[in-house]
Amino acid sequence: MLVDFEVIKRAQTGDGAAFNEVVLAYRKRTLGTIARLISRPEDVEDVGQEVFLRLYFSLDQLRTAEVFEPWLYRLTVNAAYDYLRKQRRRMESRMSDLSEQQVMLADASAGGKADHESRQRKQVTETVDAMLSAVSEADRILLTLKEVEGLSLKELEKIYRVNENALKVRLFRARQRVLKAFGETGNEPGVKGTANAEA
Amino acid sequence: MNWKNDGDDNAALERLFRAYRDACPDPHPSANFMPELWRRIEERQRSVFFLGRWARAFVTAAAVLTLAMAAYLYIPRGRTSMFSAESYVEALAAGHAQDSPDLVEPAMDEL
Repeated sequence: MLVDFEVIKRAQTGDGAAFNEVVLAYRKRTLGTIARLISRPEDVEDVGQEVFLRLYFSLDQLRTAEVFEPWLYRLTVNAAYDYLRKQRRRMESRMSDLSEQQVMLADASAGGKADHESRQRKQVTETVDAMLSAVSEADRILLTLKEVEGLSLKELEKIYRVNENALKVRLFRARQRVLKAFGETGNEPGVKGTANAEA
Repeated sequence: MNWKNDGDDNAALERLFRAYRDACPDPHPSANFMPELWRRIEERQRSVFFLGRWARAFVTAAAVLTLAMAAYLYIPRGRTSMFSAESYVEALAAGHAQDSPDLVEPAMDEL
């Protein structure tokens, strides 16, 4: 734990300074997780604030220290899930307004300004983003937590409140679906280049 | 190394996820993060407070209205009262007061 349980207990009683301490200890990690879950840097802080807002109003339900971190992850996952669902709806309407040429021009101008390294990063994030957008929000979040955040099955068990076998099945299926999407996006030259660069 | 040719998609996927992890480091929160968070907390608290007050006022008004209706229905008020001090036979006779002469009078004429 990044803070003593005593600090959390004080925050539970409405101590603003203690709550600040909790937020300061966890915000960077939480924002990092959100950034990788939603892949939109401009909205990361907004979702992060939503997570800590939910934490503030549900802190009194916390009973033991050991469940705090899985619980915070759970709040993060739920907020990211809500955001992704809204975003998917918004994206559908926004993309229908733009012609394919407009989208390509916007990509080209953005790519021209970036240097080689950041372009490569951009390529990786875009590839993973494209793959993960091809699967459901639930698959995306589960895979990101396991494969990108590096959470163990034990930790995921606490977050999802399901047993290890059920999680393994869900992970396997999510992996299969993302591999299918991986195969489909892998035909693009840019993606192959990215994979080669990383190998 | 071409990931499409090595036949190990799983390994390639893992490499790609690792690269993604490196490409997306934890972002630094802006200076506005905490003030904005507290503004949102206070805003939510205010709305919860007003909602609570509105709910309490609504419950109080509903209770007062219920009591008033109960009083209106149960307090005896003259002839419109639900309760009567008359016996059943008296009440029946009073109810048929208009009918009785019509039934009796023709028999009286014949005599």
